[in-house]
Amino acid sequence: MTTAIALRDVVKSFNGFRAVDSITLDIPAGGIFGLLGPNGAGKSTTIRMIMDIIRPDSGTIRVLGASSHADVRSRVGYLPEERGLYKKMKVLDMLEFLGTLTGSSPRDARTESRSWLERLEIGDWASKKVEELSKGMQQKIQFAAAVLGRPKVLILDEPFSGMDPVNQNLFKDAMLEISREGTTIVFSTHQMETAERLCKELALIDKGKLVLSGPLAKVKEGFGKNSLLLEYEGDGAFLGRLSGVARVDEYGSYSEVRLEAGADPQAILRSVGERLRVRRFEIVAPTLHNIFMEKVGATAAPVLERVGDA
Amino acid sequence: MHNILMIVRREYLERVTKKSFWLGTAVFPLVMVVFAFVPMFLVGLGGNERKSIALVDGTGKLAAHLTRELAGEKLQNGQARYAIESVPIAGSIEATRASLEERVRNKTLYGILSVDADIRTKDAFQFYGRTVGDVKSIEEFQSALRRAVVALRFENANIAVDKNVVAGLLAPVDMQTNEVSSRGGSTKKGFTEAYLGTFMFVMILFMTLLLYGIATMRGILEEKSSRVMEVLLGSVSPGELMTGKIFGIGLVGLTQVAIYAATAGAVRIYLGAQGSSQTAGILSSFTPGKMTFFLVYFLLGYFMFTALFACIGAVCNSEQEAQNLQTPVTMCLMLPMAATIFFVGQPDSTISVIASLVPIFTPMVMFMRICVETPPAWQIALSIALSIGAIWLILRGAAKVFRIGILMYGKPPTIPEILRWAQG
Repeated sequence: MTTAIALRDVVKSFNGFRAVDSITLDIPAGGIFGLLGPNGAGKSTTIRMIMDIIRPDSGTIRVLGASSHADVRSRVGYLPEERGLYKKMKVLDMLEFLGTLTGSSPRDARTESRSWLERLEIGDWASKKVEELSKGMQQKIQFAAAVLGRPKVLILDEPFSGMDPVNQNLFKDAMLEISREGTTIVFSTHQMETAERLCKELALIDKGKLVLSGPLAKVKEGFGKNSLLLEYEGDGAFLGRLSGVARVDEYGSYSEVRLEAGADPQAILRSVGERLRVRRFEIVAPTLHNIFMEKVGATAAPVLERVGDA
Repeated sequence: MHNILMIVRREYLERVTKKSFWLGTAVFPLVMVVFAFVPMFLVGLGGNERKSIALVDGTGKLAAHLTRELAGEKLQNGQARYAIESVPIAGSIEATRASLEERVRNKTLYGILSVDADIRTKDAFQFYGRTVGDVKSIEEFQSALRRAVVALRFENANIAVDKNVVAGLLAPVDMQTNEVSSRGGSTKKGFTEAYLGTFMFVMILFMTLLLYGIATMRGILEEKSSRVMEVLLGSVSPGELMTGKIFGIGLVGLTQVAIYAATAGAVRIYLGAQGSSQTAGILSSFTPGKMTFFLVYFLLGYFMFTALFACIGAVCNSEQEAQNLQTPVTMCLMLPMAATIFFVGQPDSTISVIASLVPIFTPMVMFMRICVETPPAWQIALSIALSIGAIWLILRGAAKVFRIGILMYGKPPTIPEILRWAQG
């Protein structure tokens, strides 16, 4: 597998604060890569450095093998965390302009913009000013702006934030389609559920440091099949007090239970069966959410774990 | 290069297709014309009514001479412009004059001229008017008085000279000023023409530089506040973005200047066909040579100031914030304009020469000097060379400041900080 983006010992500080602290990471070509981490972990800073919008204090970043970003800029699509459009411009004119910046001629960019507007179901709004559009429509346009010019690498910073489920679904489908066409997609998020469903490979960063990285399946494998999914009727508040339970995520009539090493799931099942009416009991690998909580929730210095081989 | 062209294209089309551009383009010359012509028109208006002037004459002999000398000044309907009313002295000259003041106040008299019995003293002639700002009338009246008094002096000295001889002897001596161009030849030119012609050019230069500098700054501020900046930076480098903006908006500026030049040229040809008038005199400043220099210094000034304004836009988040940083830059434009009268009057003084070679002042000052005289070729060449050097430095520094400032939200940096970024 070839590498689309390679970071080596990348460091970036702002006024003495280490936003990105010596990150080394290979993002494989093809597929969808999730850059995960809590707010303020350094995701956007890392992405901005990949985009050459800010430069690292030290370390190197290669995108598509090029050492100078200028050579690949037109082949990288970007959706920044801070969304922004030319509010006074007409939708199609603005997309045409943004499209030309990927190296297309105005005519080609216009054709491509039009087809994206159709695909995102806002073709009728092409000659309206951007400011006249609803927030959801502006999100679609922002997305179209990022994917114009058939980029080889598409970087999406928090693509689903503030989006309704309909748009989320639309974009998810678009992302999968683009990915199938051979584009490497990197997206950042702090929503683990989305990441779990979309990424093939991921990296988790916290406080500027890489906590873990690797293919999703192997990351989960590394944590073992030591979690329980429980669905029940009754009050599950006692679950956390059972012996052998490390931590519990309770959702009323549904809980995700992480076991301590060596704990016996059958013993847990017996105790639970005495008190609750169990509808579902499943031994599973931990969800990404649980892994995230375990890794990031811990205050101890993060330990770098490289799980599996890319 | 493709990206820069595309940015130029957007900046140009977005601006030139706006109504406000054409409105602004049309309004500016209109304002200039109003400023230039309305005062002249108003002065002309006041001159078309009969003016009665009371004469309190200590000599008793001036009235006839004065009436004769004023006879030449006619209103448009052919009547005499000035009516002299001799008022017999009751008591003293001063008392008589004082008694007439009421009539000046109620406007039945334009003014009072009191003349001492001894016309050789310094303060012998006193004019009392409701207004002393009517320069044209007062000048006319004064010159008639001067001729009348000279005639009276001849009479008092018992020199009997033929009236025509006196007229010949007293024929006014007006000195016509001419400008010797160093390229050979000379043109008839007065200070007013030189000043007005230059000032008009300088005004256009000042307005366009300021206008487009601020337009650039505002464009960048808008892209920052609408957060579209980062979307752009995903596709273009900050350097490309800045270059594209400066050239795109510059092209809009050139379009406007071209419209003005074409208009001025057309007006000049039209007025030329109408026969020469004072306005044609001012418009005669629009020679191809001067236009070329205007273009050169416009471009030099444009790159210098727009780069500076672009930096200000990059490091600020709102126009209010930008105000503080804008002041020193605007001052660099304002100062030479405020001193136009000095540079036009003393184009060769050491201060003028030095100021015209300091890059930040060059576009304005060197251009003024070129308008009124022809500075040595080496000075023109040196000023252009120094400016180009300065522009190169400014653009290089600006690109660095731009790169850092463009993604900065929060408190704008201080000037020393900006300078540090520019060097780094």
